[in-house]
Amino acid sequence: MTTTVGIRSRDGVVLAADKRASKGFFVGSKVVQKLFKLDDSTAVAIAGQMSDAEYLVNLAKAERRLLALRRGYPLSVKESAKLIANIVYSGMKNYNPFFVELVVAGVDREGGHVYTSDMSGAITSEDFMSSGSGSPIAYGVLEQGFRPDLNLDETRKLADAAVRAAMERDPGSGNGVDILVVPNGHWNAEVN
Amino acid sequence: MAAEMGRMPFFYNTEGRLVQVDYALQAVARGSTTLGIKTKDFALLASQVKPTRPLLEPAEKVYVIDEHLGATGSGYIGDVTTLVDEVRVAAQRHRLVYDLPIDVRTLSRHLSEHLHSYTMYAVRPFGASIIFAGADELGIQLLQVDPSGTTFKGAGFTIGQHADEALEVIRQGYRPDLTLDEAKALAVRAIEDVNGGKTEIEFGIVRADTRRFELSASAPAA
Repeated sequence: MTTTVGIRSRDGVVLAADKRASKGFFVGSKVVQKLFKLDDSTAVAIAGQMSDAEYLVNLAKAERRLLALRRGYPLSVKESAKLIANIVYSGMKNYNPFFVELVVAGVDREGGHVYTSDMSGAITSEDFMSSGSGSPIAYGVLEQGFRPDLNLDETRKLADAAVRAAMERDPGSGNGVDILVVPNGHWNAEVN
Repeated sequence: MAAEMGRMPFFYNTEGRLVQVDYALQAVARGSTTLGIKTKDFALLASQVKPTRPLLEPAEKVYVIDEHLGATGSGYIGDVTTLVDEVRVAAQRHRLVYDLPIDVRTLSRHLSEHLHSYTMYAVRPFGASIIFAGADELGIQLLQVDPSGTTFKGAGFTIGQHADEALEVIRQGYRPDLTLDEAKALAVRAIEDVNGGKTEIEFGIVRADTRRFELSASAPAA
């Protein structure tokens, strides 16, 4: 279930997600947060098993804090995505998979990045990305509306429109949109 | 009897002492002068950065353990950093399990058990003492953990070279209502008095209002 969207623009990245948690054909919750901040410059949008996703995000947070303390500067977006993908991959290989589809997005010294990882741990870098049951509908909007030269506010509107379109036609998505905007230059080289 | 002790240095000697642990404490006493001062508003860690060879960058001496918590140590630096990493992992594990920052007592207890396990078997105990400064539900906390696993809680600690003399300087200058600048000046005085004058010092500070542990390198304004 769920619809999440991640878009890269020249000025930063935008994440968006609906707020519905489904229990089969029942709406289990109307106020679920599917966007998680790893720190001030990196965030994750989750679709799939909430428990798996939340555990994964907390584990990634802990590993990132440790690594940043040890080496003195935070992880890049790619490192964060790879870290999460490695955890998911080892889960799959141990017949204990994380039932998740994640969009890892953020800004680092090179600018904005959007990565996506499925439950096999495969990661790809994308200009825009959607996951969850509403993603085919969201992709329709994204394919029509995405241009590499969109500014941050236009990108935000596109993400909002994509999730709202999915909420209209996908029964697994609904109850409002959460949006997280991470502008470029948010990357802080200082740890702590 | 003495010959027997020579073959079995990791068990109690005839006086009931663990000589390996005594030696570890001696190793700590050879380290650079390091101290911690606490009031109800803040805790301060300070460690002398020993003058080294030219062109060498000074070693890191005060460590962030988690947002609200820091540590410093004296003794073998390799042992200090290994112990620091041990507690950093413990702090993050606590966040994973309880979704809360670890309290200082639980963290020092973890380190204490870790150190103690190295006094039970025929292994080398860590040659390092650690001072923690942190903020938690109980307020500002300052704790010292020794190679034996013994934990001390208090308002002022000194370890390393000339620790006793440095502690005497702090005892004479300490008041429960010290300001942060006064405490910094006192720490500088304690370290410099016993090390023959001006020296580079690294600081770590945690405040009760912000509950954040922050490093501040080199000598302060005072």
